[in-house]
Amino acid sequence: MLSLVAGQVLNGAIVGSMYGIIALGITLTFGITGIVNFALGEFMMIGAYATFALAERGGLPYPVAVVPAALIAAVAGYVCNKAFFRFTRGNLVNGLLVSIGLISVFESAVLWYWSATPIEMHYVLPGALRLGDVSLPKMKLLVFAVIVVVIALTYVALAGTWLGRASFAYAQNAEAATLMGVHTERLVTAVMLYSTGLAGLGGALYASLYSLEPSLGGVYVLKGMEAAILGGIGSLMGSLWGGVILGVIEAVGSIFLPTAFRDAYGLAVLVAILLFRPAGLFGDES
Amino acid sequence: MKRTDVIVASLLAVALAVVSAEAQNVVKIGQVEAQTGANAIYGWMSSQGTALAVDEINKAGGFSVGGKTYTLQLIALDTRGEPKEASVQLKRLIEVDGAKYIFGPFLSNVFLAIRPYAAEFNGKILMWGGATRIHDYVGTPGHEFLMRTWNWDAGPNGFGELMVDDLAKHGVKKIALLYQNDQGGKVMEDIYVAMFKRKGIEARLDYFEPGTKDFSTVLAKIAAWKPDYLFPGYADSYIYDIVRQATETGQLTKFFLVRGSLGPGLKNKDALDEYVVYVPKYFEEAEKKDPKVQKFVKAYRDFYKRDFPYDQAPLCSSSCYDHVYMLVEAMKKAGTVDDPAAVKRALMSMTYEGLWRLRFDDKGEEVFNFDVVRLKKGGAIEVNHINPK
Amino acid sequence: MRSDFVLTIFIYTFLSGILTVTFDLIFGFTGQLSMFHPAVFGLSAYVTHLLVLHVRLPFWLATLPAAAAAAALAVVVGSICFKFRLKTFYFAVVTLAFAEMLRLIIVNWNSVTNGTLGLVVSGKPTIWWPGTGIVAIRGPVAWYYLTLAALGATVFICARVLASWMGRAFGAIRLNEDLARTLGINVFRYKLVSFAIGNALASFAGGLYGYYTGYIDPGYLGINQSMEVLAMVLLGGQGTLTGPIVGAFVLTALPHVIDLRAEARAILYGAILIFTILVMPRGVVGTLRAWRVRRAA
Repeated sequence: MLSLVAGQVLNGAIVGSMYGIIALGITLTFGITGIVNFALGEFMMIGAYATFALAERGGLPYPVAVVPAALIAAVAGYVCNKAFFRFTRGNLVNGLLVSIGLISVFESAVLWYWSATPIEMHYVLPGALRLGDVSLPKMKLLVFAVIVVVIALTYVALAGTWLGRASFAYAQNAEAATLMGVHTERLVTAVMLYSTGLAGLGGALYASLYSLEPSLGGVYVLKGMEAAILGGIGSLMGSLWGGVILGVIEAVGSIFLPTAFRDAYGLAVLVAILLFRPAGLFGDES
Repeated sequence: MKRTDVIVASLLAVALAVVSAEAQNVVKIGQVEAQTGANAIYGWMSSQGTALAVDEINKAGGFSVGGKTYTLQLIALDTRGEPKEASVQLKRLIEVDGAKYIFGPFLSNVFLAIRPYAAEFNGKILMWGGATRIHDYVGTPGHEFLMRTWNWDAGPNGFGELMVDDLAKHGVKKIALLYQNDQGGKVMEDIYVAMFKRKGIEARLDYFEPGTKDFSTVLAKIAAWKPDYLFPGYADSYIYDIVRQATETGQLTKFFLVRGSLGPGLKNKDALDEYVVYVPKYFEEAEKKDPKVQKFVKAYRDFYKRDFPYDQAPLCSSSCYDHVYMLVEAMKKAGTVDDPAAVKRALMSMTYEGLWRLRFDDKGEEVFNFDVVRLKKGGAIEVNHINPK
Repeated sequence: MRSDFVLTIFIYTFLSGILTVTFDLIFGFTGQLSMFHPAVFGLSAYVTHLLVLHVRLPFWLATLPAAAAAAALAVVVGSICFKFRLKTFYFAVVTLAFAEMLRLIIVNWNSVTNGTLGLVVSGKPTIWWPGTGIVAIRGPVAWYYLTLAALGATVFICARVLASWMGRAFGAIRLNEDLARTLGINVFRYKLVSFAIGNALASFAGGLYGYYTGYIDPGYLGINQSMEVLAMVLLGGQGTLTGPIVGAFVLTALPHVIDLRAEARAILYGAILIFTILVMPRGVVGTLRAWRVRRAA
């Protein structure tokens, strides 16, 4: 029993880290630019399918395919921002509607081209690591490591660089930031590019673990949003912690309680946190 | 004002007459299947096969019944797996398009939604699909319009019966069922939990939410119970991930399936010990031995200009390619294209030899020959061909 | 015969219209983005049908406890949310969370709801018609008039509420909640009233929809329903009573009028939503009104 719980805590953390990378995208977008990109899951899906295309059809080795795949997702994000998202700044509902529309468009386009048949990549790093009674797939551990590193680097970059400080200034007061010489248009573009690129990277990592279908993004954007809120919108490391905590709650909850209610465990905790600490676990109480 | 009305009315009348005159020698086939959506596997292949058959028949000049030559028109609507969509679509097919022959549905939740409406046209239409739920209604009063185009799991000819018997014979004591928490899963629970109990095999059942990708927790729970086999159902999109995650950690290595394809087994063949699956037809082998199958594979490739979907093709055993041809044969036998009741009687009285040997039992449920494939570690395949009486 | 198909589209429009108009009461007029609507829609469908089935209540009588349950649930969820002063985004997320939890309960409470298998509804609502006595609502024409009447009643009730002091309070809350509070408006109470009325009225759509389609399943409570309702309201025009109906009509009729392959239709659907935001952010009705105002000036 103990090894079962231990194994699932670790597994939950790994699954949660994938929620975390999407959560980071959401927290950056919403926290800095005030745009609601509910379609972030679609950029994850684009990254996943692009990785599949490059690695399976294009013959590139997986690690090489990941970067262009994330870039493709970022470019798609850039286009969507220029065309639609930047007009929805601060307007939650408009952002939602644009997102719903984009979800429909992207999913159907991928469905048209790839069809509903599930596709799966070859196994990049098969096998599992044994720690006593607990067995963890090697690829999952690698994915976890990559995500943690990326999120940590993002945090360092934003906290330490001029661009980072400018972002936070913009988030607090757009006009003042403009007056101080921050190129707000470029900033919004940069944030959108980066967050969709992150989602694309998440998708590329996803592709190494699970089978792909056009609707894969839907679950992740919801969980990502839960994780972002749990950790606190605007807190970067909070998005990672929020994701990990969410993943662990779901996994451990499913051991002792019916698996069928897995999603509810995370939701219940989320509601409780929101009521008593609306800024999330690591957010600013402002 | 009045004169313009008269002119418009007469033009309309002429147009209608022309349209209906044209329509006279066309037999319309309607199709309600989920071509897209989460459970699209169960409608996509049907829509692929029917379109191919209709095209072939029309290109060959159509078919004659009672001295007249007819062509087929296929109106295939995508239900997306949504009952609401399907009911509006069925209304359209029957009332607007005037289709008397409806192919589908394969999904039970769609079937349940459209059944009451379809039943209002009992005697005026023929509806045949693979949905598991159809089994409960086929052959009952008020449902003479209904037929089921897939093998039934249970009963003396049931593939499930045969496969579970086989397990019992080989000394299997414990089996873990892992199903999707939806229509398909629930119906399978009804069939198989009772069946295992009857044969003296201990069964435990776990459900997962549709949309789940990571099964680690539930697989770990199951592995702690130490079953002989894992029985995952029913859509490939889940089975690929379940089999991969189960074998990756070496926890569970023997699989038993009555839905889904051989694909997941092949992909993980070096990590598993055994993978037993009901496959309406093992196309890779059949293509080498059966000229009809060869022809079908080639025709598919030429028509759709893409790779042949070997893992999805077995689902063409329901409301698909063979059934279009069989319907045409039945219409010829009955001597009419307009009387679905007569056509149904003809269907019930014939055996059709196509990709499969198809016939219907006295309730209107299909009985056809099928394969059970046993895949062993490393990739060795053993195919068992079963011809129900 | 052709007209039956058109009637069906209208019937679905009217049923969706009840949902969208009541949603707009909460969202467009009071400014709260609720994702709880499909939850009461589905819940009342189940409650109505189960009461008819097990307690043998006539349909109309059964809708009342369903509406009461919807209102009670709305009060509970609303109290929690409004008490904690959740802002727009978080309110949406929490209502979504509650709706999901309710859906999971219904999906798994097999003995009562039959879980994912859903319930097959074979009865028909009946009404008393002068001269003919008790008539069952059967066939598209009868349903057309029934759903039209239901929508009309819903719109009427909403209009009366909005014209009253409650409506003015809603408007104030939507424009600036804190200001409204300083003006002495009990923001918590009025938000709750709006939420309760909106959800209670929406519950009627659930019972009717279940009886019309003949089939109730947990999908009624899914997040897709929330998206659809939101899209319809935004497309038609939020903050109006006719906008949501227009939006419901356009999005219901669209898939059946455009004869393209399924994926193309979905792409078109998405494109229309995006186009609406960029070109007509106030929706069809909102833009028309603004245009008329500008013409008059």
